[in-house]
Formats: sequence, C-alpha cells, structure tokens
Amino acid sequence: MAELTYREAVAAAIAQEMRRDDDVVFLGEDIGKAGGVFKATVGLFKEFGPVRVRDTPISEQAILGAAMGSAMTGLKPIAEIMFSDFLAVCWDIVANEIAKARYMTGGQMSMPLVIRTANGGGSRFGAQHSQSVENWAMMIPGLKVVAPSSPADVKGLLAAAIRDPDPVMFFEQKSLYPIKGEVPDGEYVDELGTAKVLRDGGDVTVVALAAMVPRALKAAEELSAKHGIEATVVDVRSLVPLDTQTILREVSKTGRLVTVEENPRLCGWGAEIASIVADEIFWDLDGPIMRITTPHIPLPAADALEDATMPSAERIVREIVENID
Amino acid sequence: MDVIMPQLGETVSEGTVSVWHSKIGDKVSTKAPLFDVSSDKVEMEVPAPAEGTLLEIRVDAGATVPVGEVVAIIVREGEVIEAAAAPVAKAETVAPKTAAAPVRDVSVKSANRDARGNPLSPAVRRLVAENSLDPAAISGTGLNGRLKKKDVLAYLADGGSARSASPSPSRAMPKPAPLDFSGEDTEVIPFNNLRRLTAEHMVRSKATSPHVLQAVEADFARIARARSGVSAAWKKREGFSLTYLPFIAKAVCEAIREFPRVNGAIDGENLVVFRRINLGIAVDLDFDGLVAPVVKGAGEMTLHELARAIRDVSDRARNNQLKPDDFTDGTYTISNSGVFGTMITAPIINQPQVAILSTDGITKKPVVIETEDGDTIGIRPVGVLAQSFDHRAIDGAYSAAFLNRVREIIQTKDWATVLA
Repeated sequence: MAELTYREAVAAAIAQEMRRDDDVVFLGEDIGKAGGVFKATVGLFKEFGPVRVRDTPISEQAILGAAMGSAMTGLKPIAEIMFSDFLAVCWDIVANEIAKARYMTGGQMSMPLVIRTANGGGSRFGAQHSQSVENWAMMIPGLKVVAPSSPADVKGLLAAAIRDPDPVMFFEQKSLYPIKGEVPDGEYVDELGTAKVLRDGGDVTVVALAAMVPRALKAAEELSAKHGIEATVVDVRSLVPLDTQTILREVSKTGRLVTVEENPRLCGWGAEIASIVADEIFWDLDGPIMRITTPHIPLPAADALEDATMPSAERIVREIVENID
Repeated sequence: MDVIMPQLGETVSEGTVSVWHSKIGDKVSTKAPLFDVSSDKVEMEVPAPAEGTLLEIRVDAGATVPVGEVVAIIVREGEVIEAAAAPVAKAETVAPKTAAAPVRDVSVKSANRDARGNPLSPAVRRLVAENSLDPAAISGTGLNGRLKKKDVLAYLADGGSARSASPSPSRAMPKPAPLDFSGEDTEVIPFNNLRRLTAEHMVRSKATSPHVLQAVEADFARIARARSGVSAAWKKREGFSLTYLPFIAKAVCEAIREFPRVNGAIDGENLVVFRRINLGIAVDLDFDGLVAPVVKGAGEMTLHELARAIRDVSDRARNNQLKPDDFTDGTYTISNSGVFGTMITAPIINQPQVAILSTDGITKKPVVIETEDGDTIGIRPVGVLAQSFDHRAIDGAYSAAFLNRVREIIQTKDWATVLA
C-alpha cells in the first residue's frame, strides 16, 4: 500500500491502463505538458509521449467528438472535460451520440471511452465552475456514471471504467484532489456498480457520494459521540449501474434512509434512491426518508455563501438529530 | 334502496353492526330502529331510511364495515330492485385481527397511530398487522414518544407485555451498551413460579400502598423466664421447641382487639376492619422462596393453640403440603427473620392487608431499669418489633399506639401463668 493523493491516484490509474493496453489514449485541455490544471495527470505526457497523451484546443465538442470517433474505430480513449459544467456545451455528443451508439447499431459498435471531469463545489469557482452535475449524466440511458470518494476508489474505479466496453462518465470531485489515502500497489481494478458500506450503525442509513462521503463519515462520528445515534454510511460510488442490493439491504437494517447529495435538490440522484427504496422496501421503513442536498440554486462564489449551500458535516448532524428518531 | 353504514362522528371511519332489529321480509319504518351500530366512540340505533320492506341484509351482526358501505337493501312500495349479487359480510371474515394479516392489507387497518397520536411508520404498521398488536398499548421511545420499529420488537421480545419505557425526547446521552450476561462468570437463574408470583406481589404492594415503617424495642425478659421454665417439658410434650413467635402472635392478637384498624383491608375508598384475626405467618422455604400461610381464628386461640397452629403451617409449608385454603382470608401478617439475628427489617405489606409486623433477633443487651431506689443497668433479652403500615388506611399515631400496646403486653403480661 502506498499513500497517494486523490489527484495522484488519477494519474496512477491512467498510467496503469496505458502501460497495459496500447489502445488507451488520453486527450484534453492542458492535460499533457502542463500535467492538468488540477495536476491530476502529471507524468503521463513524459511517459507516454504526445501521441497517446494529447493536448487539445479549448474545444470541448472537438475533444468528445474525437474521443467518440476514436472509440468507434478501435481505440479506448480517455477524454478530460476540465470542469464538469462544460459538459453542457457538448451534451449532444454525450447524450445523443455516445450514449446511443451501441443501441442504435444493434450492438455492432461499442463505445469504450471514459469522460473524466472535475466536478462539484467547495473551491470558490462560482456558478459556472462548481456545479455537481452527476445527476445530469445519471438520467441519460446509455451512460455509466461513477463518482469516487477516495484515492483507492479513484484508482480502482477509473481502471475499471477504462476497461469497460461502454461509455463511462467519471466524476472527480475537485475539492477532494488534495486528500490522501492508502492505495493498493501494483495492478488494481475495482468493480463498477458496487457500493461500499464504510461504517456500520443501527439507527440510520446515510447514503452519500463523492465529497459528501467524508462529510457523512465525520457527521456519523459526531452523531455517535454526542447524540448516541449510530449511522451506517454507504458510499454509492457508482450511480449507473446502481448497487441497489447494498443500499436496500442497509436501509432495511435501520429502517431509515438519509441521502447526502451535493447536486441541487430537484431530481438529484438521491430522489431516485428514495423512489427505489419506497418502491421496494416501503414496509421496512421506520420513518420518513430524508434528503440533505444543496438547494436548487446557482452556486455562489463567496466563501461563506458556498459553505452555506453545500451539505456540511455540521448540517448533516443537525438535520439527523432534529428529524431522525 | 340502499341502507348504508352511517358516519358516527367526524373521525370515525367504520362501524360495527351490533344487532339487527328486523328480519328479511319485515316491514321497516323511519320511526323504528332497523339496526344498532357501535364504534369505538358511540353506540346508536339507526332507523330505516324509508318506509318499506327489508329485502336483503348484507352485513351480519358483529361485522365491521367502512362508513358508506351498503349494509342492507329495502324495497319501497312499488319499487323494483334487481337481485343484488354482493355476498353477505360475515362477522369473522371482516375483522382482520386474528391471523397474520397480509402486508398489503395494513393500509385498511383502523388505528394507524400510536398512543401519542403520531402516525405509525410502515415498518411499525407491518409488525403491528403481522402480530395483531394494539399500537396504543406499546410505549414509544422516538421523538415525541413516536413508536419505532425497535419499540415493537422489544415489546414482542418481552412477550407482548406493556413496557413502561418513557419516551426519550432528550437524546444527549449516548445509549448504554446492552448488558451481556453470558460467560463463565455468571449463572442465570430463571424465576420459578413462586419467585415470579412473589416478585409481582412485592412490586404491586409497593406500588399500591404507601408504606410507613415504625419500630419499638421490647424487653422479652418475662417471656424468656416463662419459656425457660417450661421449655424441656414443652419439647417433650409437644415434640417441638417453644419459640418467641407464639408469644408475639398472642400479644399482637390482644393488641388488635384494642386497635382493630391494623387488622383490615382497603376496598376502594373504604377501610374494611375484620373482627376475626387470621394471622399470616411468613415462612422461608430454605432460601427457595417465601410463603405466608394463614393461621385462621388466631384471635380465639390460647398460647398453646397458637404455638401448635404456627408450627403446623410452618411444617406443612416446608413439606410443600399447604392447600389453597391455607393462603386465603389473612388479615394481618407476621414475618420473622429473628433466627438470623437481624436487628430490624422493613417488611412489605401482604396485600390487601394494611399492616405487617417483622420480628427480628432477640439478644441480650444492657438496659436501664428504673426502680424506686434509682436507675440501674440490667442485662435483658431485647428485640425490635417493626411494623410497616399502609398510610392510606391509618396514620402514624394509631400505628404507634398499637405497637406500644404490643410491647406493653410482651413486657408486662404474666406469661408464666399463661403457660401454666
């Protein structure tokens, strides 16, 4: 085990897969010589050269169009969209083309590509560079959607995404880039579509994603220490495919579901989980489902205001103490 | 025309047909009751909605149906009705409380609120339906006393008995770890029936009667002298030793004649005073339980008879030969822990009596004796008589006067003559 940062785990996963498979190529803005604007791809340009690690113009549609074309013709591209907000400008290619190619060709064509992107708030980038848009991707049939919360999951899930024969949207939460964690040495591949139970508790099941996972864990420790409430914490990790077995099992155990979501409240991913839980295990629920989310607003840039909008550990504790029991 | 289940109140959603006053074919009238309806709130007579003939009864007496349901059909003069095919609701099929109701049916259950009026969660509704429970009978520990799934599970684990867990609106205290009684350091002794009955009786007595303890110290010198004079002969004649207890019992019976209210029971707001004295004698079964068989008619007995009767019930208690009648109609109880040399015991009243006396160890002590020539110190056998009384029935002065009289009798009666 080595201790890596979340950003180092990105480069480690890409390097692992590029060494293993010559068909894996990487393209995006400032990903090569500069090592990425978030320094998540340092060293790749030097090791794999300008053909396989390709800096592109500032043109998101061109990046994804090229990725799609190369995937259609046999490569396994990784495309970076610097800020996930910019996915909006290439949504036709993502939603109508990449997501639909396998279906519309009757399986004659696969789309083995990964779209990596820096997602979410907490870094004071304002309304156009801070959005948490994993729910945009989740609602498009034909896309897989992954959002890791730890360096180990970044490495294992990104490797799995690169090997997957279908398009995977890989959301890296940009405020997590500096966090450190133990990452398995050597070749390490995780499994898409699996949630992880990070903490066992008997009173309430907190389901969280990406940057909300460490906050949920911190909240769970405080709930235990100060309020005698034991929370189970589930890291969803993958929105599509969704590990409903794990989520339903853990919610059944406590009878209470709390989702902690960074995306804006309306149609956030937690709404879908709440719906599945209500459909499948309604008679196991021992109280109302609760969703803790960013409100349905454009994200402010001011420090205090941004902090006030995103779910914090303190807010998770407060809302659970006030509403769960 | 249809006869429907009426709305018996704003919050009532269903009603039970308790009785039909008419048979099929009878003439019915708006001025006479057609059937009676009961709900959890009211009972009322329902007249026919129109003059006519009772054509069909769709709901049997005893069955519960929702408000608005057709319970009968009447045909008015000249009215033509097509044969209705709906089956008659049978009393036993409508009330879904007996067997485990299917989960899908819980939405139609009547009471989906707990004792505090909080709505029941789906998990609680399911448990309540599957186990045919009354949610209002289960204590909730959630916010505002909300009934949680774990409360129902705990209730079921307790065999469905009502728990008195108080709601915990303040959750600042972390939950204590559950007690773990397993392991080699512990032995778990299940309650036998006697233990369970004793436990229930003791809790009930303490919960029923405000106990007050009073004690006096008595000088047993006269009794000791009388006893020692006859003890060998007594043992030879009777086959058992003469203890202090029959003397105390005799003194108690005599004192009760003067203070009869300690020999009673509370019935509602009345104190029932018994003329007959039936003395309960607490007997320990070699640490395996406690019984209090009754010596009946103790007030009419001589000291000898008392001694034999006490001996008889004690022997039969230890040999497990007591009959149900031996436990009935007690009016006052004496508990004797003296054999172990205790100084004072606060006894628990044997319900529904109002007082109980504990006699403890009688030991030699230096006692100040007043004489005409001044005070001297003598060595006397001294013991404490402690009475717990029900303060609802009598007050401290009365109890104290009774105790003082018992002491006087013990200390001043000519026991040697009584024994002769």
